[in-house]
Amino acid sequence: MTAKARHPLSINQEKCQGCVHCLVSCPTKAIRIKNGKAHLINELCIDCGACIRYCPHGAIESQTTSFSDLNAFQYKVAIPTTVLFGQFDNTVLPNDILFALRRIGFDQVYELSSVCELTNAALEEYLRDHPQPRPLIASTCPVVVRLIQRRFPSLCNHIVPIEPPREIAAKILRANLSRVLKIPPAGIGIIHITPCPAKMVSINYPASLEKSYLDGAISIRDIYKPICQALRRNEDDAILRRLFPETLLSGIGIGTALSGGETRSLKNHRTIAVSGIQDTIRVLNQVEIGLLKDLDLLECMVCPDGCVGGPLVVENRFLAKSRILGLVSTLGDRTVVENSDIDLLIQKDFLSFQHPVKPLDIPPLDADPVQAIRKANQRNDIIKRLPHKDCGACGAPDCRTLADDIVRGEAAITDCPFMSKEEK
Amino acid sequence: MNREIVFRQKFEIQGGDFSRGGEVSCEVKNLLKELGLPAPSVRRAAIASYEAEMNVIMYAEHGVLDLSATPLKIRIVIEDSGPGIEDIELAMNEGYSTATPEMRELGFGAGMGLSNIKKNTDELEITSEIGKGTRLTMVVLTERHQP
Repeated sequence: MTAKARHPLSINQEKCQGCVHCLVSCPTKAIRIKNGKAHLINELCIDCGACIRYCPHGAIESQTTSFSDLNAFQYKVAIPTTVLFGQFDNTVLPNDILFALRRIGFDQVYELSSVCELTNAALEEYLRDHPQPRPLIASTCPVVVRLIQRRFPSLCNHIVPIEPPREIAAKILRANLSRVLKIPPAGIGIIHITPCPAKMVSINYPASLEKSYLDGAISIRDIYKPICQALRRNEDDAILRRLFPETLLSGIGIGTALSGGETRSLKNHRTIAVSGIQDTIRVLNQVEIGLLKDLDLLECMVCPDGCVGGPLVVENRFLAKSRILGLVSTLGDRTVVENSDIDLLIQKDFLSFQHPVKPLDIPPLDADPVQAIRKANQRNDIIKRLPHKDCGACGAPDCRTLADDIVRGEAAITDCPFMSKEEK
Repeated sequence: MNREIVFRQKFEIQGGDFSRGGEVSCEVKNLLKELGLPAPSVRRAAIASYEAEMNVIMYAEHGVLDLSATPLKIRIVIEDSGPGIEDIELAMNEGYSTATPEMRELGFGAGMGLSNIKKNTDELEITSEIGKGTRLTMVVLTERHQP
């Protein structure tokens, strides 16, 4: 498995200046500067995209599906994130956006709020039927799942084993479209429109499925301009779109991509909603030492304010959030999914993970605990000698991490510009 | 088995600093993970040291957590300068607490601390002197220890 295949993030060697912004921004300390360029450590990266946000040179690129990849499919289906509705000003209605997506080449567009409503109902039922363990952790944000696999492996069994709306929507479409349209399954491409690069990893390397039901993910960033161009192309039909809205948005489902969106409808359970990577790590640390047991559900989203704060969105997250909250308040508690459909899908176990999320432990200092202890002691000795400036000049984000790299055999103490003078 | 090899690190705990409550036990947990010790033992040690850390923060002026780990066992000694425990046997009872209403408002003081420590350790020794302080010695055996 090559680095490029595993991660959606890659560093443009020409644009990279070898500065320290990404080093410091990385919550899992997965970046090092070697020979003046940033490099990603695959085993540590959780695909959160924090580095994309902080790189002043635009050198960190996310490998999402490109528009031309769609040509491989005879019939192209888009499943846009509900965050897309917050990217345009208030005069642009959700239906306008769905229409624009069709004009730019999708044969069909399926809006996700109804499936969000469906998964929320399934979540409520799961919480009711499973009193243990507590707190359960919602699994919609793929970075949270990856973070738990790597940093909090003992919490894997706290993850609610219900697939996220994008996968369920694709699964339903995959099960039916080929038959209805009489097109072979391979000819149908189902593409998510995503606010973050992590969805691409969850498609290529799903944590709880044998194979993703999605064929790819196009970033909001990449599709924004084509949508803008397609929005205004034909004003004549605007009145038609307004008078005959073809999609019934779900009030319960429309806000689920915002932090607090999943917990909002769970009125009978004790829940909290956390957003932002640092706060998510802080709260998961608390759960791991046995706290927060009185909560039923912990909703974590690593982007600030939820998916509206994703690294691949266009609009600033405050505006996007306010627009989506506008939709939420207009729609109220409107439901669009039949209870009988929810019951049927739950009964058929259609919404569940195919297999549990497995731990992907970060390797200890050494496979042999005796050696690991020896290295940990060595590391403490090295830390004492380092200048504690955390300047990043050695290529590691801070002195402690440099000491860690040294005992793991991946760096030398002379990498520290302050040390080399002293030592030589 | 090499019994000589020990990892050792000390941490300062500031009494009354609720805002940093849990930071030390979190670091203990992460260090133990890095040593490759079995996850269930790490978790037990982390839970026990969190309870002990919070006791220092709630009642004492200052404390030191002294962690030592071998492949076979995790030993954590927490020593504080604080009021001491008057009746250790009574304090061990589930539900017994001397927490003030303020502490209870913060969600502490359910009287589960020491009994939770006992549940998550294989050896526990408490010595205390009124007006001086308390010393907790907790041992968690790793799974390797058991035959």
